[in-house]
Amino acid sequence: MNPKHADEHEGAASSPLSEGAASATLRRSSEPVDFQLFLQCVRDYAILMLDPHGRVQTWNLGAERIKGYRREEIVGQHFSAFYPREDVEAGKPDAALAVAQAEGRYEDEGWRVRKDGSRFWASVVLTAVRDGAGKLVGFGKVTRDLTERRQAEEARLRLVQAQEALRLRDEFLSVAAHELRTPLTALQLQLERLGATTLPERAGSLLDRATRNTARVVALVDTLLDLARITGGRFALAHERVDLGAVVRDVVDRLCGQATGTGAHIAVRIPRPVVGTWDRLRVEQVVTNLLSNAVKYGEGQPIEVEASEGGREATLSVIDHGPGVAERDLERIFVRFERAASVRNYGGLGLGLYIARQIVEAHGGTIRVESGRGAGARFVVRLPLDPPAPAEEAR
Amino acid sequence: MSREHGTDGVLVVEDDTEIREILVELLEEHGYAAAAAENGLEALKRLRDDGLKPCMILLDLMMPVMDGAAFRTEQQRDLALAGIPVVVLSAYREAFEEVEGMGVKRFLTKPVSLDTLLSVVEDEC
Repeated sequence: MNPKHADEHEGAASSPLSEGAASATLRRSSEPVDFQLFLQCVRDYAILMLDPHGRVQTWNLGAERIKGYRREEIVGQHFSAFYPREDVEAGKPDAALAVAQAEGRYEDEGWRVRKDGSRFWASVVLTAVRDGAGKLVGFGKVTRDLTERRQAEEARLRLVQAQEALRLRDEFLSVAAHELRTPLTALQLQLERLGATTLPERAGSLLDRATRNTARVVALVDTLLDLARITGGRFALAHERVDLGAVVRDVVDRLCGQATGTGAHIAVRIPRPVVGTWDRLRVEQVVTNLLSNAVKYGEGQPIEVEASEGGREATLSVIDHGPGVAERDLERIFVRFERAASVRNYGGLGLGLYIARQIVEAHGGTIRVESGRGAGARFVVRLPLDPPAPAEEAR
Repeated sequence: MSREHGTDGVLVVEDDTEIREILVELLEEHGYAAAAAENGLEALKRLRDDGLKPCMILLDLMMPVMDGAAFRTEQQRDLALAGIPVVVLSAYREAFEEVEGMGVKRFLTKPVSLDTLLSVVEDEC
């Protein structure tokens, strides 16, 4: 690897590269000078010339970036310096030159080594350069660092795998929820039948508790199923004429009928019917989630529910006077699994508000909370009275 | 409530043994005759081979061998059976879209309450 070794073709092999110097081929061509400038400046490809023996003659910015050597460090060195040791020992560099010389070009993808010893995955093209008489003048080498492309591909693959894993999970969640519903159906029917028989007094209250808790399991399973449907994009609405006032009163009756433990009083202020075209069961779910939260977090204080309509829109407000929601949590509580209170102190899956928002937005509506620390909370739902056009309906 | 068909009570078509037996028992407890089939194919056999004439068919959707939708298609093709009212009882709430094309009388979702079930049966039988 003696840079000063004289050889047959014009000076480029032994002279250090300077700004004005060019490879033999370029000097003989009629290319404009700024083509050379372009080569020098290209950052993304290492573009260099080798002499017929494989020694580096020219260097560009891309080569410096990709391989790590500065021009003065590498010119005159043999290009096998770029190969991993095992490839050099196997004779790969010389074999590459031989192929390029015989067939005109050699193309390869493989590991290359930088100045600091680190490896990168490269795409390399070696081209035999011949003068007008056909004599070999050297080789053109273009190297591209594929590390970024490989990393991007790997990231894409991981993304696809992650999405697939999520899809499998949601599918499983859906299957599991349906499987759970079957014995729950049998259980609920049996408990109802038991309730219809004549029972000793003590048995009656035991049965009540069993029935209530079965209903809680059913509700949890339904929530899991909703989550799987929402994330799986299978969240469809069944529209019908619904009186929001009637739905609210039903939910309030049901909640008051259950032992809430906090003794909170719920005042319903809905003077006139509020009728819209909505999915009754889903709207009921929203009202239930909001009222359950008000009961859960309202610290026994009174709760108010208001509903009215105006401008082809229904407005539902659920107001509690508990500790309220901190400003930094106002948006966060609608996010899946998020909650502003600690998991330990308040049970539940943390999905109530998330699902409520999905339902409301699927109807083309909005839901938000107004609150302040210690000032209670007012959840406001706006629902258009008429269903959104099919293209707008979410998912 | 008399109908052309319907002297043989309710035909319960449900693959889950527990639910099927509970439904039959509770229908009988409330004064209705009840017959059972564990899938669509069984149901057709009871209707055609055994000459069963129910006032109503309580139909589950997800069943092996022949599911609810396939049974309904067969039933609608058969003039002798097409007139029997069908009430679907399914764990799949989203099935309501699929069911719309089936021309059933009612669509109930599991879990169903005793009262709802009995009132539907009373309407049809």
